[in-house]
Amino acid sequence: MDLQGQNGLLSTFREPWRNRGLVAVGTSGLLVAFYSLLYFRDPLGVAGTALDPEAWARAVGLRSRWLLYGLLYSVAMIGGAAYYLRRHGNSRYHRVRVAVNVTVQLALAFTLPLVMPYFFTSDPGQFWKYEYYFSYFWPLDWYKLHPGTLQNIPVVLAVYSIVGALVLVPLLAYFFGKRWYCSWVCGCGGLANTFGDPWRHLTTASTASWRFEKRSIHTVLFVAVASTFLLVLDHLVGDRHPTFHAAVAGQWWSLKSLYGYVVGAILSGVVGTGLYPLLGPRVWCRNFCPMAALLGLVQKLGRFRIRVKPDMCISCGNCTTYCEMGIDVRSYAQSNQSFTRASCVGCGMCAHVCPRGVLKLENAPRLQSDKARQHLPVVDL
Amino acid sequence: MPERIVIVGNGVAGIEAALTVRAREPSWDITIVSEESDHFFSRTALMWVATGQLSHRCIEPYERDLYDRMSFRRVRARAVGLDLDARELRLAGELPPLPYDRLLLACGSRPRPGPWPGSTLDGVGHFVTHQDLQWLEEELHGGPGLRGGPPRPDAHLGASTDDSPYRFRRSLRQQRGGPPQRPAVIGGGLIGIEAVEVMHAAGLHPRFFIREEWFWTVALDAWESRWIAERMGEQGVEVLVDHDVLSLDGDAHVTAVSTDHGTFETDLVVVAIGVVPNTGWLRGSGLALDERGGGVLVDERLRAQPIDAGDSEDPTDLGVFAAGDCAAVRWFDGSVRPEQLWYTARDQGRVAGRGLLGDTARYGRGPWYNSAKLFDIEYTTAGLVNMNVAGEANWRFEEQGPVRSTSRVVVADGRVVGFNFLGRRWDHSVLLRWIDERRDLRWVLDHLNEAGFDTELVPPLRIPAEAKGAPLQGPTPSGVPGPIPPPVG
Ligand SMILES: Cc1cc2nc3c(=O)[nH]c(=O)nc-3n(C[C@H](O)[C@H](O)[C@H](O)COP(=O)(O)OP(=O)(O)OC[C@H]3O[C@@H](n4cnc5c(N)ncnc54)[C@H](O)[C@@H]3O)c2cc1C
Ligand code: SF4
Repeated sequence: MDLQGQNGLLSTFREPWRNRGLVAVGTSGLLVAFYSLLYFRDPLGVAGTALDPEAWARAVGLRSRWLLYGLLYSVAMIGGAAYYLRRHGNSRYHRVRVAVNVTVQLALAFTLPLVMPYFFTSDPGQFWKYEYYFSYFWPLDWYKLHPGTLQNIPVVLAVYSIVGALVLVPLLAYFFGKRWYCSWVCGCGGLANTFGDPWRHLTTASTASWRFEKRSIHTVLFVAVASTFLLVLDHLVGDRHPTFHAAVAGQWWSLKSLYGYVVGAILSGVVGTGLYPLLGPRVWCRNFCPMAALLGLVQKLGRFRIRVKPDMCISCGNCTTYCEMGIDVRSYAQSNQSFTRASCVGCGMCAHVCPRGVLKLENAPRLQSDKARQHLPVVDL
Repeated sequence: MPERIVIVGNGVAGIEAALTVRAREPSWDITIVSEESDHFFSRTALMWVATGQLSHRCIEPYERDLYDRMSFRRVRARAVGLDLDARELRLAGELPPLPYDRLLLACGSRPRPGPWPGSTLDGVGHFVTHQDLQWLEEELHGGPGLRGGPPRPDAHLGASTDDSPYRFRRSLRQQRGGPPQRPAVIGGGLIGIEAVEVMHAAGLHPRFFIREEWFWTVALDAWESRWIAERMGEQGVEVLVDHDVLSLDGDAHVTAVSTDHGTFETDLVVVAIGVVPNTGWLRGSGLALDERGGGVLVDERLRAQPIDAGDSEDPTDLGVFAAGDCAAVRWFDGSVRPEQLWYTARDQGRVAGRGLLGDTARYGRGPWYNSAKLFDIEYTTAGLVNMNVAGEANWRFEEQGPVRSTSRVVVADGRVVGFNFLGRRWDHSVLLRWIDERRDLRWVLDHLNEAGFDTELVPPLRIPAEAKGAPLQGPTPSGVPGPIPPPVG
């Protein structure tokens, strides 16, 4: 089979469910409702009713609603991966990548957290300590570096949390770009690239959206880092400063729970995933994920880039349209400029859909000649 | 005093020129006249809008506020004539003429009309202009895709003429009660195969009439083309090579295509037998046009010439430039004709922009290269291929396996002069460097993967030793009449 052809894309703009039609609005409504129930079960007061996600979890024999969520997540990813492979499976990069995505989800983000506790304890009250998600790191999983968390989980896992977040993740990002995480390992990215793939063309590439993204994502990063720092401080001195403690961690309105509600529940769940069918699959990753912000900064300094073959771009816009991060790839391609954008998750779709083979993802040292390649057949007399 | 610049054409040549001028002269008065559309769009991408892979908006390379940001005035009307002495552009409709200090003609191509009886029947159209696209979308799908059509599609009709290529064709969809059942495409070139693909994507099984012995003779040889024809066949396209069309038949609307090999029923025909410079409206203006093709004759600075300048070294400065598809420039083989390519139109637009600024930049055409995608088969070419190079021989290799590809290297005088590839991606800039360095075949084959541009994880091309030493084959067909000398280092 031809490894670079394209198929299945041809009808994108003729399918209502992929273009904010009724089905899309309905699906989005259901997703938003689901995430609201999942995250706001208690404030919404659905506990004990038919709408209680905890009850649904018990009904299928799972310990908690979070594991039920993991199960649904996995099912959505498998279904989405099948769709994805039908559309882009003629590219080896996409076949391998999506296989890794699904495997990571099933093994590290579902099966292990499900079964690990049984090996270490028989006390259900202790289960949470061993329900460890190996594929998530701080600051995306913001709780992972909280002193309270680190103290309570096994030492090996605590070391993995620290080394993973502070050494492993940035180091790999330096060499391979943020893609090693954002589009090969991360569950959010995995869901976006499978279940969310039908809507990838809905991501806007406007300049205004770029301006918004740069502001919002760095704000969240700042808040995530600063609040982690405050939580550490609270851990050290909190019992001597009750007002500070209340502001940081003690109350439902304190920093810790607000961060959880606003960033964890609303931005990543309700908005980030709930609005897939209306705004595209990477709303969270592009605008709010603190981990993406951090990796983006590393990526700018690192070796990953998209190489542009000079003078071959026909400005067709396939790359820009199918970029799920709203990067105007065409603007670089048509000016013969190889580039690295902080937001690029390296999904590889631009290179795949380009009908003139202009783009190539690569991990390579910066070339001095990148800029010089902007050739113009103008000779000044 | 700010100069008044008028540019006829909102295509890539026109817009690149306008941007070049604006980058240096913030206060000059720049007016862009375009009959076809309000916004610059990529003509090269029409096919994906027609299939539904892209929306109308997707093929606009710049955001719509470009014209405001750059203070480009726009006139949506047809230019119908030119007064070189008064320096005025005449417009159709009731519009007053536009005075200019310097003028750029970037009016592109129009489809070559079918030369056969019946070529103007309803149900016969082309696939070149935005209006062609809208017509085909209407015929195949009943309208544009879900994210809408172009803004103000009819805005030019009040200032147009009957012979304009930007008029709409009547759709037969209503009358037929649905999409065509047996569409046909005539013309075995790039636009032809794109039209075929558009129909195929709409779930139809077009007939593809090709006069030559195989598809795209100017770019491929019979061996390469076989694979493309096979792929089209697999997709339900009926490829009819060696079929010379004699007439298009029907009373009011087309019902059949008659060829020297029989008559075929049809209810929609796309004629894709090439494009011609869109310069009919310039006849009689005093500008020198290429007699054979009709392109605006230009010098190396892309300045248009007056008819009576003869061979004079230094023609009067008319203040008129031409760039892109409508300009007849000098090719490497000495011939004078339009280039009809996206990147050359862009480059010419930039050079012409420098001319509009008063610079003395000249257009230096580099070597030939191009790429395309024929259904899902990638195509790259660089250098002299199918060009009838004196003493040429061709090395061929076919790869089977997880990747299917063909490679052809043209050798003349012991040196590599051209490359033709299907099925893989290549960096033409590397290939051209090798040609420039006058590499021999063996060296090139040993280093070929350095020019590879496949996406990651695609295994590199492996050529077995015996294939590298395989005997060379003779010359390939050519659109170039006399043999051209191999390039010298
Ligand atoms: C279907 C198709 C596919 C193609 N694919 C490729 C490809 O893959 N690679 C490649 O290199 N090239 C390709 N081409 C060719 C390429 O698109 C052209 O070479 C290029 O667009 C030429 O640009 P231009 O600016 O010279 O003219 P155009 O893009 O044709 O623009 C002409 C402009 O002039 C205006 N105009 C013309 N006459 C008048 C008038 N009398 N009054 C007012 N306005 C007028 C029109 O409104 C329009 O804005 C393709 C062409 C087609 C049709
Ligand atoms: S998809 Fe390729 S040809 Fe089209 S705009 Fe992007 S880089 Fe250019």
